[in-house]
Amino acid sequence: MLEVSRLAAGYQGNDVVRDIAFHVDPGEAVMIIGSNGAGKTTLFRCVIGLLGPSSGEVRFEGTDITGMPAQRVVRLGIGFVPAERRLFPRMTVEENLSLGAYPRRPDPETLAMVMDLFPRLAERKRQTAGTMSGGEQQMLAVGRALMSKPRLLVLDEPSTGLAPLLARATYEALRVLRERGLTVLVAEQQVPLAMAFSDRGYVLENGRIQTEGTSAELAANPDVRRAYLGVT
Amino acid sequence: MIADILDGIVLGLQFGLLAAGLTLVYGLGGVLNLGYGQMAVIAAMAVAFARDAGVPPLPAVGLGLLAGGLLGLLLDRTVLRPVYRLRGEARVLLSLLLTLGVSFIVDGYLNWRYPLKALTLHIGGGAVEILGVPMRRGSLVASAITLVTVAALFVFFRRTSLGRAVRSVIEDEEGARLVGIDPSRMLRLILVLSGVLAALVAVTRAMVSPVDVKSGLSMTVFALIVTVVGGLGSVYGALLAGIILGIVNVVAADLIGTYISLIILLGAAALTILIRPAGLLGVKE
Amino acid sequence: MSDRLTGGTFLIGGTEVRSSRSLAGLLIPIAVAGAALALVPLRLGNSRVLMGVAVLGLAYACYTIGFNVIFGSTGQLFLCVGALAGIGGYGAAILADTVGLPIVTSILVATLAATLVGGLLSFVAVRRSLGVIFTGIVTLIFSLSFEALVFGLGDLTGGDTGRLIKSGADTFLRDRIPPYYLMLALVLVFLLVHELLRRSHIGWALRALRDDEVAAELAGVDVARYRVYAALIGAAMLGLAGSTYAFTEGRLSPTTYGFGEVDVVVLVMLAFGGIGTLFGPIVGSVTFTIVDEILIEFGQLRHVAYGILIIGLFLRMPRGLIPTVASLWRRVRGLDRLGAAKSSDSAAGKLEAVSSEARSAE
Repeated sequence: MLEVSRLAAGYQGNDVVRDIAFHVDPGEAVMIIGSNGAGKTTLFRCVIGLLGPSSGEVRFEGTDITGMPAQRVVRLGIGFVPAERRLFPRMTVEENLSLGAYPRRPDPETLAMVMDLFPRLAERKRQTAGTMSGGEQQMLAVGRALMSKPRLLVLDEPSTGLAPLLARATYEALRVLRERGLTVLVAEQQVPLAMAFSDRGYVLENGRIQTEGTSAELAANPDVRRAYLGVT
Repeated sequence: MIADILDGIVLGLQFGLLAAGLTLVYGLGGVLNLGYGQMAVIAAMAVAFARDAGVPPLPAVGLGLLAGGLLGLLLDRTVLRPVYRLRGEARVLLSLLLTLGVSFIVDGYLNWRYPLKALTLHIGGGAVEILGVPMRRGSLVASAITLVTVAALFVFFRRTSLGRAVRSVIEDEEGARLVGIDPSRMLRLILVLSGVLAALVAVTRAMVSPVDVKSGLSMTVFALIVTVVGGLGSVYGALLAGIILGIVNVVAADLIGTYISLIILLGAAALTILIRPAGLLGVKE
Repeated sequence: MSDRLTGGTFLIGGTEVRSSRSLAGLLIPIAVAGAALALVPLRLGNSRVLMGVAVLGLAYACYTIGFNVIFGSTGQLFLCVGALAGIGGYGAAILADTVGLPIVTSILVATLAATLVGGLLSFVAVRRSLGVIFTGIVTLIFSLSFEALVFGLGDLTGGDTGRLIKSGADTFLRDRIPPYYLMLALVLVFLLVHELLRRSHIGWALRALRDDEVAAELAGVDVARYRVYAALIGAAMLGLAGSTYAFTEGRLSPTTYGFGEVDVVVLVMLAFGGIGTLFGPIVGSVTFTIVDEILIEFGQLRHVAYGILIIGLFLRMPRGLIPTVASLWRRVRGLDRLGAAKSSDSAAGKLEAVSSEARSAE
């Protein structure tokens, strides 16, 4: 579904990530793990079109989307939840969600599904996004991305700033969505959470993919265990 | 006193609407259009020439509105291209300087070619009494049109998906892109809208007093001051500030005298900026 | 934060730190400029009109230097150049004519008033952390208020029609040629002051502040204080020039110190010459005065030319003529150096080229 090959990207001429190659097949849950500053956010921003690549290729469902601006990429069936959420603070939950469906009118069925998935949002339909708690904003960001009925959902560090309970709840919701056929790509610093959720994963270190494998393989990998699972 | 307040409201609504156009462009695109008053003047001239050529009033006004919209589009396509490559303060500064240059070109040409041209739209009929004060029909029609426009803007931004899309870009440009909205297309739309608003204000102004080729600079300055006092980027702020400053202007001019009242107005504006740089309804960063 | 830096460096190209040159190195260029300008009356001295234009041109040169000190050094966009000069001009005229003070005293008091106002504006802007744009707007409001005040206090200022200045009518101030040399003296003094300022610790602090405000603060530069210093000095220049010019002109009207007439022109002059450079104001004012005079018969159409000039200027040459020419020159010379150093390894060669560039800067 999503194929990235030899991708490099960075800022002002300096590449933060180099020689990136990974893929996501339909129905899978794939994680990209790495420590802070490894380049996960840069990579995702490049894939989704918020940042131009310096070299390489990105293909989605066969279409070449390398360097395509985000507003067009998003219309091809990819939803993105950035680390900073990027909600519309003075607009209500309802407005945020209906904008997620832009340019189409919000589909009542999808809306109901989102409300069902995140009951807290249903309670706060008229509340402005800026006044909500971190966890609620996270839910809203995911919900908004779901409104366009994406086939692939990409999340950048969804557990950031969330209490452990809420982070687990988020992944629970993602699990439910997977059962309904959503393909998920997630970048995470909190590796155990991502590992429990994903089928496969890639380890991003210093701007390069160092290791890849199924979750089980990675969990057994001694370097991974040492670096990310706190095992000495 | 009541007469002054009513006159002030009439004046204030117009400047508020004008400021709204300016503030929308700033809030959405980070661009300060110092040629805004000139856009209004060009639109007024278009209507004046159409009228001279025998075009009936309503189509002539339509022509003016069209001219305003086209000017906005032209600005987006030409002068602002290099501005879009910059971000933040540099963008504001360059847009300010380039549009200033454009305003010079327009002002210079119009004043040289048609130095005495002015637009006046007479609304026939006697005076109408409001709250015991005889008001000219022109003022009333102008105010009515302005209020209708404000209401239309309100509906557009609150109720239509396009309006919401525009608001979303003001709220968070990146977030807007993530839901499939193209910020530069939205900016183009708003620039066209601001041009139409400028034309509309010029036309309604002409119903109250003549709009001549020299009024460009003063319109820009007033719009700018009202915008800043109301809060850069806030349409409601612009409208509110417009009305308040309009009333202050007329009342002070009547009580004290034109020039000193102008100083009071300017002083009030400066004070607002100093005490609360975000403006009356602006968003605190 | 980076946006502020971008804004500053977009308009004001950083001038290189120059190795200290002797006083001669400083005086000679100024003396040369002075000598060149001193020759003007030989050419135009017979025409009262043209000499008047020349004197006005020098007045604008003074205004532009003052604006350069305020804006070029610290990035404070003071759109009240005309107003500050007007405080000097109208103030001195009123003091001399109405109050009866001697001319020199009037000039000094009026200059002091302008200085204080300029300093106050800067202080307020600093206190309220107003950025470039808001400083511009607030000072613009001040400009417009000043114009309105001139109209409003019609008895004192002559309002719309302006007023004649009786004081000094029978002195050399109203002759054809002496005022020119008087203004020229001011120009040269201002240039000297500006250059000395650059070399002093104040100048160092101002440069640090302009290039990176945060770093400067961390290095111990009291940003607020130096901003106000620059504003005080610049405003003093404006007030002095405005008041001196008033007595040579003998007649004041709102257009003498209006926003559209002074501030806009000064901005264009400085932008053309080079914001932050020493001779930028001279280059700008001389060019503009000549061009304006040549185009005078086109009336308002000149504004079209100026508009085109502004647009072209800020698109192609935002740092102004002098820095652009200087970097072109350096590039030519730099290439020469690199060619000569081909035998040494490239790093050393590059170092050579860079340091020779630094030595020959401007």
